[in-house]
Amino acid sequence: MSVLPEGSVAAGWSGAAGSAGSSGPVGSAGSVAGRGSRRGRRLGLGVGQWVSLGFLLSLVLAAVWPGLLAPGDPLAIDPRAAFVPPGWGHPFGTDESGRDIYTRVVHGAAPSLVIGVAATAIGVGLALVLGMLAALAGRIVDFAVSRLLEVLFAFPGLLLALLVITVYGPGVVTSTVAVGLATAPGYARIIRSQTLSVAASPYIEAAVVLGKSRGRILARHILPNALVPVFVLVTLGVGQAIVWAAALSYLGLGAEPPAPEWGAMLFAGKNYVTSAWWMTFFPGLVIVLAAAATTVLGRALQKRGVR
Amino acid sequence: MPLRHRSSLLVLAAATTASALLLAGCTADGAGTSGGGSAPSTPVAGGTLTYATGFGEPTCLDPHVGGNMPQALLGTNVLESLFSQDAEGAIVPWLATGATPSADGLSWDVALRDDVSFTDGTPFDAAAVAANVAHMKDPATESSTAILALGKVTSVEVVDPTTARFVLTEPDSALLESLAQTWLAMESPAGLARGMEANCEDPIGTGPFVVDSWTKQDNVTLSRNDSYNSSPAGAAHEGPAYLSTIVWRFIPDPATRFAALQSGQVDVIDEMQPDNVVTAQDAAASGGQLGVLTGALPGASIRLELNSGYAPFDDERVRKAFIASADVNPGIESLFFGTVDRSYSVLSSSTPFGASFEDDYAIDTDRANQLLDEAGWTGRDSEGYRTKDGARLTVDFPISTNQSIPAEQSLFEQIQATTKDVGFDVELHPLDLSSWYASLAAWDFGVTSAIYTKNSPDVLRILYDSANIIPAPSGYHPNHSHVSIPELDALLTTAGETNDQAERADAYQKAQKILADGAYVLPLYDHLQKIGYSTRVQGLSLLPTLQLPYLADSWVQQ
Repeated sequence: MSVLPEGSVAAGWSGAAGSAGSSGPVGSAGSVAGRGSRRGRRLGLGVGQWVSLGFLLSLVLAAVWPGLLAPGDPLAIDPRAAFVPPGWGHPFGTDESGRDIYTRVVHGAAPSLVIGVAATAIGVGLALVLGMLAALAGRIVDFAVSRLLEVLFAFPGLLLALLVITVYGPGVVTSTVAVGLATAPGYARIIRSQTLSVAASPYIEAAVVLGKSRGRILARHILPNALVPVFVLVTLGVGQAIVWAAALSYLGLGAEPPAPEWGAMLFAGKNYVTSAWWMTFFPGLVIVLAAAATTVLGRALQKRGVR
Repeated sequence: MPLRHRSSLLVLAAATTASALLLAGCTADGAGTSGGGSAPSTPVAGGTLTYATGFGEPTCLDPHVGGNMPQALLGTNVLESLFSQDAEGAIVPWLATGATPSADGLSWDVALRDDVSFTDGTPFDAAAVAANVAHMKDPATESSTAILALGKVTSVEVVDPTTARFVLTEPDSALLESLAQTWLAMESPAGLARGMEANCEDPIGTGPFVVDSWTKQDNVTLSRNDSYNSSPAGAAHEGPAYLSTIVWRFIPDPATRFAALQSGQVDVIDEMQPDNVVTAQDAAASGGQLGVLTGALPGASIRLELNSGYAPFDDERVRKAFIASADVNPGIESLFFGTVDRSYSVLSSSTPFGASFEDDYAIDTDRANQLLDEAGWTGRDSEGYRTKDGARLTVDFPISTNQSIPAEQSLFEQIQATTKDVGFDVELHPLDLSSWYASLAAWDFGVTSAIYTKNSPDVLRILYDSANIIPAPSGYHPNHSHVSIPELDALLTTAGETNDQAERADAYQKAQKILADGAYVLPLYDHLQKIGYSTRVQGLSLLPTLQLPYLADSWVQQ
C-alpha cells in the first residue's frame, strides 16, 4: 500500500498550502542531502531536515523548560523601557509595556506546541472513530458518516473552528478543541479510504480465511497498516494546527492577554507594525519556522514511506 | 457658563450674532488650521467625502434607540437638536430660538423656528417636539441615553406651533444641555410613525444630509439635503452643505484605518491611535498631507469602575488596595506618547465642576498589602495570588474592544501586572460590544472601563445615583460601580436642581469627594476625540456639544 497521492493531501488541507509553500526552499536544500554527514545519510535526513529537527527540539526544550533559554518573567512589565528595538539587552526588542519579546517568544512555545499537539490528537482521535466506522460498519453507517464529512468539508476548517468558539466562548481549551474538530474531517476521510483499501487486501482475506477473530484482525492487521500514512499526516498537521491556533489567538479568540502566545503577540504588535516592526516580526518568524520545520520533517517521513 | 441659558431669549439672540468662530471648539494640531498646510481656499460645492469610523457600526441609526457614540457620530450629520453649545459650553440656538423657565423651574417654554421642515416634507413644530419626546420616553423605543437625560421631563405640551412647553417633575439645571445632545435630536413624526425597523434604517431629520443607503458591515451613504436651512448658531455658513455625498465606512481596526487615510482611500478617520497621532502631526509639520483635530469629549473621564456591589470589591479596603497598587502613570506616559494627560477627576477636563483628588490615587504598595491583610486576604497560593478561605482574589475585567483602544488595553495589562504584585488576580476578557454589555448587565465583573459622554456634570447623577443601578429599558445600567449612598444621591439631586452656581459647585465637589474617598472609581485620563484627516478636506470642525465631527461646512478639493 502506497502513501496517499499528494493531491488527496492538499484536498483535505486547504490551509496547508501556506506552510507547504514556505517549506519550498528548505525542501530543496534537503534534496542535496546526499552530501550530508555519514550519520545523516544513515538516518536518511538531509541538511534541511536536520535543521528542522534541531529547531523543533529546541522548541520542545523551550516548552518543557523555558527558564533555561529565557530566565526572565514573560509578564514582567517595564513601561519606561517600552518599544525598545532589538539590541544587546533585548535581542528581540520590547513591546508596548516594556516586556521582553525574546522571553515571551520562548515562553510562548509551550502553549503553541501544546495546542498544536493536543488539537491534532483530538482531530486524529475523532477521525479514527469516524473513519473506521465508515469503512467497516456497513453501508448505511458509511453513507451517513460520509455525508456528514462532506457537509463538514463544505465549511473551511477555520470557519468550523470559529463556529465552535462562538458557541462555547473564547479561550485556550476551546480553541484547541475547535482546531481539533476542524481538522477531523480531513483525517477521517483519509482513514476511511485507507481502511477500505487495507480491508480489501489479500493478507486480510488470508487472515479471515485462517479464522482469526474480527477484533484481532482489526487491531493487528487493519489499524497498524491504515495508520502508517496518517502518522505522516499528523506530523504535517501539528504545524498546521500551530498556525491555526495562532490565527485564532490573533483574532482574539484564543489565549487571553497578556499571555505569551505567538498569535496573541502578533495581534498586539499589529497596531504598531509601522513604528515597532519587531513586535510582529519575531512571533511571526517562529510561527513560520515551526510550521515549516514540521512540514519538512513530515515530507521526509512521507518520502521514506514511498521508498 | 452652563447656567447662562437661564437668562434665556436675550442671551440666545446675542449668542447668534456673536457666533463667528463658535465652532472652533477644538484644537487643530499640525499646521494650525483644519486646512492643513495649504492656505484656506474658497469652498467648492460637490464631491464625495469618505469617513472611516472606528467606533463601530450602529445596530440602529436612530439615536433615540439605545443611544451610543456610533449613532451620535453619524446622527450629527443627519439629525439636528433643539440647541447647540458654543466652545465655552454656553447654550446657543439651533432648531429652537430660545427657552424661558417658569418661576418654579417646573416648566420650560421652548420657542421654535417656524421655517424648518423635515426632509420628508413634514413641518418642524411644537407637535413634532412633543412626538419626539414621547418617542424617547416610550419604553418600546428601548432608549437608554435619551430616556435618562429626560428623566425629569414628564411630557411636552403644545402651546402653539412655535412654542413647546416641557413639563418637569423637578427643576433640571441640565435640561437645555441634555436637549443639545444628538441622542435627543428631532426626527420627523411621520418617520417615527413608520415603526422602529424602518426608522432604524433611515431616520428622517432636518439635517444637512439624508441617509441614502446602508450596506450592512460596509458603509452608510449620505447625500446632501438641498433644502437645508437650519445650521446651528456658529456654523461657518448657512444653507445646504458643500459635499454632495458622504460615504460613512466602518473600519474597526485602527492600523488599517490609519493606513487607509495615509493611502488616500478615506479622507477622515476617528479614534486615532496615539502613535498615529504623533506620526500624522510629524507629517503635517513637514508639509505632509495629514492633519489632526482633537477635542476633549465632555462627560466622564476614561476611568475604571470598581463593582462595589459584589465580592471582592464590596469591601472598601480591597478597593483601596487595588487603587493603591494600580500604577498607571508610567503606562500613560509611554503608551500614549504624550497625547493625553493623567486625570485624577471623574469628570473630563471639558466638563465644568470637575474636582481632582490626586492624593486619593497615590501608589502605596505597603498600604495595599496592609489593607488586604486587614480584609482577610492573608493566604498566598502557588502563583503568588492572595487567597481567603481557599478562594483566590480574582477580579474579572471585561474589556470592550470597540470602546477601549489598543493602547488602553495595554494600559489595562499593566494594571493587571502592577496589582499582581500585591496579590490581585486580574483576569482580562476582551469582548465584542454585545458580549461586553451582557457581562455588565449580569454584574459579572469586578472592574471595567465604560465611556459615558454627556455635556454636563449631571453625568455624575447618571453614573452614580443609586437609581441607576436599576437597568434602563435597553438593559443598560449606567451605575456600574453599584454605588448606593443616600448622601451622594441627595448631593447629586441638589446639584441637578439648583440654579445657584456656588451651591451647585459645592454639591458636585462633595459628591466627587465621596466617590474618591470610597475608592469606587479610578480615573485614568481624558477621553479625547482624535480625528485624522487628509488636507484634501477643508472646513472640518467639531461640533462643541459632544465634540463630534460636523461635515456640513466641509468641502473637498477636487
